[in-house]
Formats: sequence, structure tokens, C-alpha cells
Amino acid sequence: MEYLILILAGILFATAIYNILQKQLLRIIIGTVLLSHGAHLVILTMGKLKRGQPPILDDSVTSYTDPLPQALILTSIVISFGITSLLLVLSYRAANENKTDNMDEMRGESNE
Amino acid sequence: MIFAVLIPLVFALFIPFLSKLKDKVHTGIFVLFIPLGIFIYFIRFIGEGFSPLHHTYNWIPSLNINFSFYLDGLSLLFVLLISGIGTLVVFYSIYYLHKTEKLGHFYVYLLMFMSAMLGVVLSDNVFVLYGFWELTSISSFLLIGYWHHRERSRYGAQKSMLITIFGGLSMFGGLILLTVITGTTSIRSMIDQIDLIVSSGYLPLILVFILLGAFTKSAQFPFHIWLPDAMEAPTPVSAYLHSATMVKAGIYLVARFSAIFVVYEWFFIVVSLVGIITLVWASYMAVRQTDLKGILAFSTVSQLGMIMAMLGFGTEAAVFAAVFHILNHATFKGSLFMVAGIIDHETGTRDIRKLGGLLTFMPMSATLALFGTFSMAGVPFPFLNGFYSKELFFEATTNLNENSNAIASFLTEAIPYLAVFGSIFTFVYSMYFFFGVFTGPKKLELLPKKPHEAPIGMLISPIILVLGVILIGLFPNLVNGSLIQHAAEGIRNHAVAYTDIHFWHGFIPPFIMSLIVVGVGIILFLTRKYWTKIYEAIPGNLSFNKVYDKLVKNVDDFSAGITNSYMTGSLKLYMSLILGVIIAFSFAIMFTTGGFSNISFNDLEEISIVDIAIVLIMVLAAICTIFINNKLSLIIVTGIVGFGISILFVLLRAPDLALTQLVVETVSMALFLLAYYHLPELRKRNETTATSITNLFLALGIGTLITMVGIAAHSSDWFDTISDYFVETAYTLGGGTNIVNVILVDMRGLDTLFEITVLGIAALAIYSLIKVRKNKEAE
Amino acid sequence: MSNLAILPIIIPMLAGIIVAFTNKNVKVSRFLTKLFSIISLIVVSYVTFEVFTNGSIILETGDWVAPYGIILVADELSIILVLTTNIIAATTAFYAAHSLSLKQETHYYYTFFFMLIAGVSGAFLTGDLFNLFVFFEVLLMASYALIVLGGDKVQLRESVKYVLINLFSSMLFVTAVALLYGVVGTVNMAQIAERVAEVEQRGILTTIGILLFFVFGTKAALFPLYYWLPRPYIVPNPVVSALFGALLTKVGIYSILRVFSLIFIHKMEITHEAFIWIAGLSMIFGVIGALSTNNIKLTIAYNIIPAIGYIIMGIGIFNQDALSGAIYYLVHDMIIKSALFLLVGVIAYVAGTSDLRKMKGLIHHYPLLGWLLFIAAFVLAGIPPFSGFIGKLQLLKGAAAADEIAIIIIGLLSSLLILYSVMKIFIRGFWGEKDEQNNYTKKAPLGTIIPIVCLLAVSVFLGVGAEFVYPSVEGIAEYLLDPEIYIDSVLKE
Repeated sequence: MEYLILILAGILFATAIYNILQKQLLRIIIGTVLLSHGAHLVILTMGKLKRGQPPILDDSVTSYTDPLPQALILTSIVISFGITSLLLVLSYRAANENKTDNMDEMRGESNE
Repeated sequence: MIFAVLIPLVFALFIPFLSKLKDKVHTGIFVLFIPLGIFIYFIRFIGEGFSPLHHTYNWIPSLNINFSFYLDGLSLLFVLLISGIGTLVVFYSIYYLHKTEKLGHFYVYLLMFMSAMLGVVLSDNVFVLYGFWELTSISSFLLIGYWHHRERSRYGAQKSMLITIFGGLSMFGGLILLTVITGTTSIRSMIDQIDLIVSSGYLPLILVFILLGAFTKSAQFPFHIWLPDAMEAPTPVSAYLHSATMVKAGIYLVARFSAIFVVYEWFFIVVSLVGIITLVWASYMAVRQTDLKGILAFSTVSQLGMIMAMLGFGTEAAVFAAVFHILNHATFKGSLFMVAGIIDHETGTRDIRKLGGLLTFMPMSATLALFGTFSMAGVPFPFLNGFYSKELFFEATTNLNENSNAIASFLTEAIPYLAVFGSIFTFVYSMYFFFGVFTGPKKLELLPKKPHEAPIGMLISPIILVLGVILIGLFPNLVNGSLIQHAAEGIRNHAVAYTDIHFWHGFIPPFIMSLIVVGVGIILFLTRKYWTKIYEAIPGNLSFNKVYDKLVKNVDDFSAGITNSYMTGSLKLYMSLILGVIIAFSFAIMFTTGGFSNISFNDLEEISIVDIAIVLIMVLAAICTIFINNKLSLIIVTGIVGFGISILFVLLRAPDLALTQLVVETVSMALFLLAYYHLPELRKRNETTATSITNLFLALGIGTLITMVGIAAHSSDWFDTISDYFVETAYTLGGGTNIVNVILVDMRGLDTLFEITVLGIAALAIYSLIKVRKNKEAE
Repeated sequence: MSNLAILPIIIPMLAGIIVAFTNKNVKVSRFLTKLFSIISLIVVSYVTFEVFTNGSIILETGDWVAPYGIILVADELSIILVLTTNIIAATTAFYAAHSLSLKQETHYYYTFFFMLIAGVSGAFLTGDLFNLFVFFEVLLMASYALIVLGGDKVQLRESVKYVLINLFSSMLFVTAVALLYGVVGTVNMAQIAERVAEVEQRGILTTIGILLFFVFGTKAALFPLYYWLPRPYIVPNPVVSALFGALLTKVGIYSILRVFSLIFIHKMEITHEAFIWIAGLSMIFGVIGALSTNNIKLTIAYNIIPAIGYIIMGIGIFNQDALSGAIYYLVHDMIIKSALFLLVGVIAYVAGTSDLRKMKGLIHHYPLLGWLLFIAAFVLAGIPPFSGFIGKLQLLKGAAAADEIAIIIIGLLSSLLILYSVMKIFIRGFWGEKDEQNNYTKKAPLGTIIPIVCLLAVSVFLGVGAEFVYPSVEGIAEYLLDPEIYIDSVLKE
């Protein structure tokens, strides 16, 4: 199971990178979203999977899954959300101002 | 001694106030007292019984960087030159620089230089020496650029700065190596540990480093090219820095460290060879110059080469002659520069082609020039000091140390001939200077001003210097035992036998060499019309200037070329480069350190059909994002991945995550749809196959890397996680049953606090982004 | 009194929140900004004093003992960097009002500014690797906001690239932290160090270390990861450029210093040897970049790269001299980079352009600016007796002791070219005839000059008064060479 998830994370990373290497802003942003999904899966896997019940204390349960990675992922999800939202608005504004959503046309001159 | 060194610098701070008075009192008059005072302070040390003095003042003791001043014969000679010529130059400048010039700047730079130069020759601490060394370069840069509205001044200033600071840094490298090897920052202690330095194996490198410093500063071939361009500085500066003192800092450095290097045969080879080439080349080049100061500049280079060569010889006689010539050169060259300045000042030009027959207009200057040039040429008259040192030089060339090294012994054979050859040209340009300016047809119509003799104030300084020429000429032993011998001892680091200097030696080789120089020199001077054509055949100095110009220009072009080739502003390129490096390095390290080994399949959970189904759907959706060309579909497919993650979180027993992910994903979807409502439709990915393959390679590289490192990390089972503690204490200490929540708000509360902060900043940033736009539209 | 350790983070954070509410009244914002930055500076000075007299201050936040809770570690290294950060913050706080447009000020510049300082201070102080990620995000988010402030076309365009590259490295960061957790089961840096040492950095650990290095190296703008840096750094207002140039890359290099002196120190023949190579290449490509342009702001921005090269060289060599040199150079570079960015900001403002080819003879109009630039150039190039010299001297001594001659030569040559790249501005822009067509009516406001003079004065003090500072820095290097001290101080129970 762990390795399956890690392979999935790898594929998410790969597709993310492939999208980030594109020209159109939307594709690039989608890439970053996939990137954070991949990262979160890696965090979760590093705490070993399914080794017990969900980490909510209950007297009848003796073992729980590792709670720390889950806490870290929660923090990370929120932060990623913040960045993604900012990036969306930013891209929208950048594309509007520069009249293009093609990163290749957003290179700029060497001496501005 | 620290006062002597720092007083000029401190006084420089007051110059801006004093220069406000310049309409009433020329700023130079205030300045004059500084070098004069220093000169008087130090002159009392001259004498047979002089013994070195040492004073230390702490500065950064924890780094062994202290003002450790050491006055031995060599330093004393230099200190007297710096302060003595300094006095004369300041006095001369009072008449040379008009009150309308920016006198404040001039004297600040000059005083800065004076401190720096005194510091160089008095510091025993290598890093203090280095500091002062760079300060001389900086003040020289500012003085050359004094008239910076002229293109040539800027060019000359930049050139001198680049070359001398290059040398300074190189010297710094050498000093660092010496310090690290010997564990001391004191030059004298270094000299005491020669064995350690030799056995370290770094001696050749240190030699190269230090010599680069010395050669650039003392304008040795092929670094001499900055000195002729430095002539753009006001003439007092040329006389002072670029002839008498600063350019001799390199000589001083070699002299100071020669006690370390003299054991090493390559010291002899390199220093003598460079010195003698400089002597020959520059004297040859001086003849072709048309600018008076140009002649003097090349002449200075050539004479510095001669002194350098003598230091390279390393014999007692050569060192003695070198020291003697340092003094003599300062006197006659200083006076000649001042005369050149006078001519420039009184006729409005320094172009020797426009000058001629000035003897009748400027008899005093002519007389001064006569003594100066004839002394420089080494004409055998008993009242010219130049002859004595030149003769000692010849003598030294014929008495070199025996050498086992083949190159060295060849050089030993060749040096006397080269010395004579170079001196012939020295003779020619000296005559050329004097006769070209003061005799021959008058060309008054070519002169911008009607020539007349300079005011007496301007003449006093060169007169004093010429008196020095004559005095040393008549009584060569006047300064011998009291100064020169001590200086030679300072270089040799042990007692030096007293050498009696006298005019007549008999018909020994040196005298014959002198006769050849004078004889051939006269012939060449008289016939120079016929042979100066060879300068066209041998391009000469211009070629090295061209190298420099090309280099400087190419540095700009080359760096622009390189930088613009990859700093294209293309995100894709930047990302590709970064990813490529990460992939290459990480895999390389992973395999060399055996990272991906001991992979275990023991500690794994079972996989259920549902798991596989979810994963497969997510993989498909993720891959689809690459191929979809419709923005709505793209957003939806991305949503599938996101919601897939939520389901996975449920399956993997992370309910909080699943909930959060669900909410975030939903809101994100809405945001995506909102923001991209106005944006253009997706275009097809029309990229070349090569690009696709590169992208694919990078994508798969990162994906594989993460998976492999993840598997390897998972397989290592050395440690337990700290999470057990959270499970144990979540309720007892944290007071909550949802462990994840307890961690978030309590154990790692700081994370959460700042996670919210991040969100807050993002919100504010988004708000201001949108608001700025609204404001714009409103305008 | 261990709560002292959180003050450098909390004060700017609260200040940021407070000034957010006063954005309608710029005068109040300005006053509060100055006030809070001075308060923060005073408090941090006091904390620094405490740390240097009584040793590291360890704060276990929420009273959760190490290694379970988040630990703040105010040791000599981190507090000296926090102090430097606050000096820069205070000077830029005074500069800001003269440089920013009203629009930028009312769009929460001051809040973002304080959040940036909070993030930077937090990154320096935290002893927890995941928490470091969080503080990185705080400072990055603030930097995203600052870089687009004003919303110019160019700003928007460059910030998209800037955000994307940083986003990638952040995600890599969090992944690498997770991978490390997977191996050692903890995110507390002291405990990571202890556990990595226990297994002698076997197996996959070095690879994870290198991944972290790439994360920090991207933030620090090392070769070959620096491409994102130059242009985004010059598009915002000079005061923002100064903050970026002084702080952002330095947080990256600090993290490398911390992680590779504390945790990954058992395969130095691979990691630290590579750093020396990277150092050399950063210097070479950095100065090449600096020489490549006629845009004076870009010249300074490129000059960040060789400076980082110097510091990583010290980490690579990893002996007493080189490490003290690296730390000294780090502090020096923070100060001088901010001074230079502020300075070229003023120059570009009065000249009406940042294109060197369009400037000449500025010294006739602005002698003070010219001489400040002149001094700054020598400070930057490490000419004695200025601050750059002390750091460079120790770095090169360390290199010589380690027989790394090639890097000495590269270091010296790049010093020359660094000097040239800045002196070019002086020679071509300030020297020369009076420009008759342009009468340069704009005045350089005194409020912008004083902060620059203050920063340069600090630089000069760090050089001339090195005796007051250097022994402490040497102590820090000694401390870094023995990670046990750090580990014991955090995990004392």
C-alpha cells in the first residue's frame, strides 16, 4: 500500500512538472495544484499507513495511525490553498495587464 | 610612528573646511606643513648608528591585525622620499594648480595617498600593509581621474585601478598563504621561518602571487600599460605618485620579501627577466613618444625595470645599487616631471613636436632639465648621481651569482648585453627630451601660449631636487653609510659591508659599458630620423594596450553574451535548468552513497481493490491534465484528483484531512472557475518533439526521484517516531481526544498560528491586488 | 525569561496587524512603523545581549518539551542574524515613506513589511524543521505581496515567475521534510541531528540532505539555481529590493549553514566538497551577470550571487576560520546589500533612469550620492578596512588552510570584478562632463540618505571596529563545529 501511494505521488509530481513546463498560465497553475497533492501524499506515507485507527482517542482502541504527519498536512493544505488563491488572482491580473497568458511572451527585455 | 602615518589622513578630514578659504589662502599652504613635519621627524634617524625601531598599536588583536610599525633602513629611505618629495610636490602644486580648481579634492586625495604610502613602507603586519596598499591604488585612481570630465582621464583612472587592484588582490592571496603557513602576520617573523615556507611546497605560488602585486604596482612589463595613461593626472601627481613613490611600492614589496625568496632560483629568473625586459622595452618605447610626460612615463617604467632587475640579481652589490638608484631616480625624475609641468603650464602644450628652442625663453627650466636628463642618461660627469648608480648597475650585471639552472645561467650571460642595450635607449630619449624641447628651431606659432619662464615658486621644488642630483653626484658617500647601507641591510636582513662609491674605477667592464652607451647613444640620437621607422614595423606598446582594451571590452560583451544566453526571462527554461540539476545531482548522490539499497517489502500494508481503483482513477485524471485542451474540462479533471485525495485520506484513516481537503478543494474549484472565466481558451500544446521529450524526461525524473527516495526512506527502520508521545499525552496534557487537533492547536500551535498568518497575508495581498486594479480603472 | 526568544517574532507580527488597521491614515502608519521597528530593535538588542552573556535561550512553545513541541532556539548565530535583520528593518522603515508611493503605502506595505520581518526572524530562530517551512511561507507570502505592490505590468509579470519557482521549492521542501521524518521519525532539528549522527548519515539520508540543499539553495540563489533572482528583485520599489536583497537569500543560506553544520555532517567529502564547487561557480556566474548589464539595479541584484558564493564556500570548507569568515561575511553582506539597493534606488530616482548609458556627470549634481556609492563599492569588494575584508580574509585563510587554492584564486578575481561592476557606475555615471541637456532638478531627499549613511556606518564599524565583533563570531564558529552543544542545549532533559 505504501509503495502504491508513493508511486501515485511520483506520478502526481511528474504530471505536475510536465504541466509547469508548459506555456499557458492555467496549465502551470494546475501543475502546482498537482504538486501539492503529491507532496501531501508523501507526508502521509512517511507516517506509515493504516497502522491503526484514526487518531481520535478512544478507550477501546490500542493503536492509532501516526497523527503527526496528518497535522503537518493540515498546515500544508491551508498554506497551499493560500498560495494557490494568490497565484490565481496574480495570474489573472498578470495575464490581463500583459495581454497574454503565454509565459513565453512574458519574458521581458533585458534592460528595463 | 602611528601619528606620522595617520596625521595626513586625519588632516584630510579638515581639508573641506580649509578649502573654503581658498580665495584667500591656497589650500596647499596648509597642507605643506604635514609632509614637511613628517620629513623633519624622520630625518633625525639618518646616521651611521641607526638601528631599527618597532612600535605596535593594537587594532584587531584577535585576528593578529595590528598597527605594527617597523622602521628599518629600507623603510626610512622610503619614508624620507615620501615626505621629502611630498613636501616639494605640495609646494610645487601651490603654483601649478589654480585656485579655481577643486583644490579640496586634490589635497584630500594627496593626503590620503601620503598616509597610505607611509603605511605601506612602515607596516610589519601584512594585512595592514595590504590595506594601505589598496588605499594607494584608490587615491591614485582618484588623482588620475581628477579631471574626470576628460575621457582620457576616466580611461586612465579605470585602467590603473583595474590593474593595480588586480595586483593588490593577488598579493593579498600570497600574504594569506604566508600567514597560514607561518602562523604569523608579521613580515619579520615570516622571514625567520623561511624553512617552513620552503617545505610547505607553496613557495612558487606565493612567489607568483606576490610578484603579480609588485609588478602591477611598479608597472613592470607587461603590466606597465597603465602608467602612461596615468599621466592624465595633474603633473604634481605624476611627479609624486607615478614616478617617485607609489610606483616604487612594488619595488619595496619585492625588496621586503626578497629575504624569503632569494633562496629560490626562480625568484632570480623571473624578477631579473621581467625587470630587464621592462628596462629594454620601455626605454625603446620612450623614444617614440611625442608627449613629454609620455616620455617620462616610459622612462619611469624603464628605470623601475632596472631597479627590479637589480633586486632580482639578489647579490649584495646589486641590492646596494638598487637602493641607491631608488634615491637617485626620485631626484632626477621628480625634477624632470616638474619641468615638464612647467613647460606645459607656460606653453600650453606637452607635445614635443610643437616644442623647440625654448632655451632662450626658459633658461632656468632648461638648466634644470639639462641636469635631470643627463643624470638620467648616465652621462659620466662627477656631478650627476645617475651615473653612479648606473655604473653600479653595470657592475652588478657582470657579477651575478653562479647558477645551476640552465635558464638562469643563460640569463646570467644575456643580462649585461640587455642592460647595455636598454641603457642606450635611455640615453637616446634623455637627449631627445632635452634637445627636442630646448634647442632647435622655434615653433612659436604652434604653441597655444607665448612661452616665458615660470614663476620662481614653481622653480624652487625642481631646483631643490636638482641640487640633490648634484650633491649626491659630488659627494656620493654622503648618504651611503648613513642611509643606503642601512636600507640594503633591511633588504638583505643581515649586515652589509660598506661600499665606497667613487667616480673613477679604472677601465673595468662597467666603465666600458658606460662608454658604449654614450657612444652608441650619441650616434643613434643624431641619426634617429633614419631608424625611427622601425617603430612602425614593431607595433610596440599599442599591442599590449590593445590586449587590455580588448579584454575590458570583451569582459562586458562576453558576460553580456553568456548571461543573456540563459537569463532569457523564460520561466520554462529556468525551471528546466533547476529541475535538471536537481535530478542529476540527487540521483548521482543516491547511487554513490548507496541510498537506494536495503529496500524492504516487509513492513507494508495490504492493498485492497478499492485502493487500486481510486489510485487508478487519480493517475488517469492526472495524466489527462496534460492532454486536455479545454479549460473547463481541465479544471474538472484536476478536481477529480483533488477529490480522489480526499477519498484516499478517508481510506488511510485521516478523517480530519479528508474533511479539510474536501472543503479546500471545493473552494479552489470555485476560485478556478471564477478567475478563469475571462481567460482565453486553452491552446493545443504545439511543441517540438525535442521539447516534449525534455519535458517528459524532467517530469519522469522528478517523479521517479520522489518515489525512490520515498521507498528508501520508508524502508529504513532505525528509529521510532515521536508520535507515540502525542498519543500518550493528547488527553492527559492536551485535554483533547482528537490527537491531530491537539497537535495542531497545542503541541504545534506555533505552526498553526503562522499558517493562519500566511492565509491572512494572502488575503490582504489578494485584496490589494484587486483594489489596485479597481483604482486604476477608476482613473 | 526564556520567553524572550519569541519576542523578535511576535513584535513585528503584532505591529503588522496593528498597522493594517491604520492604513487609512498614512501618517499614523508611518509613525507606528518607525516606532515598532525601533522597539523591536531595542528588544532584540537586549535579547542579543542576554544570549551573549548567559548563553542560548531555548523556548519550548506551549511548554511542550523538546523534541515534541516546537522549539525556538535563540543561540548566538540566530540572534546575531535577527539583530542584523532588525537593523535593516529599522533603517528601511525610515526610508520607506520617501520612496513609496501613497498608493503602495495604503495598500498595506507596512503590514507586509512587518510580516516579512516576522517570517525572517522566525526562520532564524526556529529549531524545528517543519516550523522552518512555515516561517519560510510567511516570509515568502509577504514577499509575494511586496513584489506586486503597485501592480505594474512588469511587476506582475516577474512576480508570476517568482511565485512559481518559490512554490515549487516550497513543495519540495515540505516533501523533503516528510522524507526525513520517514527516516528519523522526528522534525526537531536537534533530534534529527542526534539520530542522523547515530546512523552516521547512512542510506538515503544524504540524498534527502541534498534535496534540502536544493530547496535552500534555490532560496539562497546559488549556482545553478539562481535564475529567478535578478529581475524580480529590481521591479519593486527600491526599499522592497533592499529588504529582499538583504534578507531573503540570506535566510536560504542560513538554513544551509544550520542544516549542514548540525545535521548532515557525516558525508562531508561528498556534500561539502560539492559546496566548494558550487561556491566557485556562483562567484563566476554571479560576477559575469553583474558585468553583463547596464541597468544599475540589475548590477546590484546580480552581485547577490557571488556574495552567497562566498558564504557557501565557508560552509564547504568547514573549518574555524572559514566558518567565522562565512558568518562575518553573511552579516556584512546583509548590511551592504541593503545599503546598495537603497542607494541605487535613489540614484535611479534622481537620474530618472536606471540605464547607466543614459547617465553622466552626476557627481556635479549629487556629490554625496557619488561618494556613498564609491565607499559602498569598496565595502562590497572587501577592501580593508571595511567589513567585507574581515569576512573575506577569514574565508580565504580557511581555504588556504584546507589547500583549496583554486577557490582562493576565483574568490580574488571575483572580488576585482565585483569592484569593477560597481565602480563602472561611478566612473561612467558620476564622472564626466556636466550633462547639459539634463538639469537634474530632482533632489535626493535627506530621509533616504540618512538610512544609507547609517547602514554604511555599520559596515565601516564592522570593519574598523572588528575587534568588538569578531571574537564573538569566532565563538559562533567554534560552536557550530561542535553540534553536540546545540543538541544538548535543546534536548537537555
